[in-house]
Amino acid sequence: MAALEIEGLRKRFGPVHALRGVSFALEPGEIFGYLGPNGAGKTTTLRIAVGLVRADAGAVRLLGEPARRARARERIGYLPGELRLWEELSARALLDSFARYRPSRPPVLRGRLLEALGFAESDLGRRVKFLSHGTRRKLGLVLAMQHDPDLLLLDEPTAGLDPLVQRAFRELVLERARAGRTVLLSSHVLSEVEAICGRVAILRAGELLALESIEGLRTRMLRRASVRFRGPAPEGLARLPGVERAELSGSEATLWVRGDVNPLLGAVARAGVEQFVFPEPQLEDIFLAYYGSGRAPGAGARS
Amino acid sequence: MRNLLRSLAARHAAFVAVSGLLLAAFQYLICAAVASVDVSGAIAKLLDSLPPMLQTMVSATLFGGLSEHGLLAFGWNHPIAQAIGAAVAIVLAARAVAGEAETGAIELLLSQPLSRGRYFAAQAGFALAALALLTLAGLGGTLLGQRVFHVTPFAGVALARLGVDYLLLQCAWFGITLLLSAFGREGGRVASAGFLVALASYIVQVIGQLWERAAFLAPYTLQHYLRPQEILVKGAGVAEPAAVLLAVTLVSALAAWLRFRRRDLP
Repeated sequence: MAALEIEGLRKRFGPVHALRGVSFALEPGEIFGYLGPNGAGKTTTLRIAVGLVRADAGAVRLLGEPARRARARERIGYLPGELRLWEELSARALLDSFARYRPSRPPVLRGRLLEALGFAESDLGRRVKFLSHGTRRKLGLVLAMQHDPDLLLLDEPTAGLDPLVQRAFRELVLERARAGRTVLLSSHVLSEVEAICGRVAILRAGELLALESIEGLRTRMLRRASVRFRGPAPEGLARLPGVERAELSGSEATLWVRGDVNPLLGAVARAGVEQFVFPEPQLEDIFLAYYGSGRAPGAGARS
Repeated sequence: MRNLLRSLAARHAAFVAVSGLLLAAFQYLICAAVASVDVSGAIAKLLDSLPPMLQTMVSATLFGGLSEHGLLAFGWNHPIAQAIGAAVAIVLAARAVAGEAETGAIELLLSQPLSRGRYFAAQAGFALAALALLTLAGLGGTLLGQRVFHVTPFAGVALARLGVDYLLLQCAWFGITLLLSAFGREGGRVASAGFLVALASYIVQVIGQLWERAAFLAPYTLQHYLRPQEILVKGAGVAEPAAVLLAVTLVSALAAWLRFRRRDLP
């Protein structure tokens, strides 16, 4: 059973198509990155998943249950992107109050989370309105995770957190995934997604452009190799399997390669290489490539 | 649901308590005024200055024929008493949906295993309890004032009927504002709209009382069904006004629920 199943999700807000048939599924124990610029439909997807927004079409199942059932939310944790809390209550009262919504899921992780995120004991007794923005975000993370949910839906979880807390958060997420929990991370911080997510979905204007592992995306990404040969650059490089474009200039060659690089490596090794630069594509390059060119660089969206 | 009720109580306790104290103090002071000043004489002089047609109308409708009980009953018809009740009802209803949507707190709350039905029922239940406490506080002020200032007490049944009438009027304001709240996204605007509706209704009712040709409008206002003079002075029943106010409450709350259960949040 998938931890989260989203099938053919469509949503319009007046003339704006927020989602155009989005489908994907999360397997238990995976950390999934949900990427897209502002207005791509990430928050709408999450809000539909937790029953706040009604989809025009499609279905969402949380841990096997239809998402609109309140019971389905028993085993999930959700952190909204724009976190707003009841400001009149103290942080402790708020944590206690939300814990009581799940009598069968006691807040077993609260102490661990407070410690890991550096939430000061003195802040627990303060009213929310007197807490700093970063402390409120930490409080939001504790609220989402204190009951050790089987599925975590986090919308921009590290926005407003300092780098140390961001690192602590990443460690916490990896720890929960090792314990078999599933995490969906909607984020703009590509380095964060790259560091902890196994798979990503890339969304643009409500449409899923890509859905696969980061490794898979890297493999299918058009990559650039710069080669300096001992002698003149050999002819025929552009005809090698995988090489889509080649620019030769004296002993130097710039090659754009997709997929298997072994034929290229074999050819340049035979010609005698002085320098070979072949950087690994970063998620940011991949992300920008999707947004720069419109469709997927090399392949369409796969569900 | 009990958990949400507890949170609502923690958040709104001070507002409801202060409102209850204000209403109780106001009713207490009305008793003090009736007992210590010749209010009847003063009002009689005031009425003497009015045209004959208005004299009868004002003394009968506003002051219950200038009796001691009639003046005390006016304390429950007074704009201040009505404003305090309406303020509590309107503010609670405006915050229930639109206010929580505006602050964004409803997003985190309804992402918990809490159904919209339970959320709505908790908001309505809390408002009913708060308005009942407010009414009891006001009645307590009247009872205490009558005892302290040796004013002839009202019959228990009459006071209970008045309490039901006043409570249902506030419930009707709550229901109407809740309907606006179910459509709204800003608590402040919904509250302003609720106050405007209440004010317009009050003005129309006063015009209907004072001007015979506009009398047909009065039954279309909610204040028309708050009848302290009839209940406390003439011993009238509360069935008819209660039925109208209850119907308004239920219909508006039902419409609010139908909207709320399907709307996108926040």
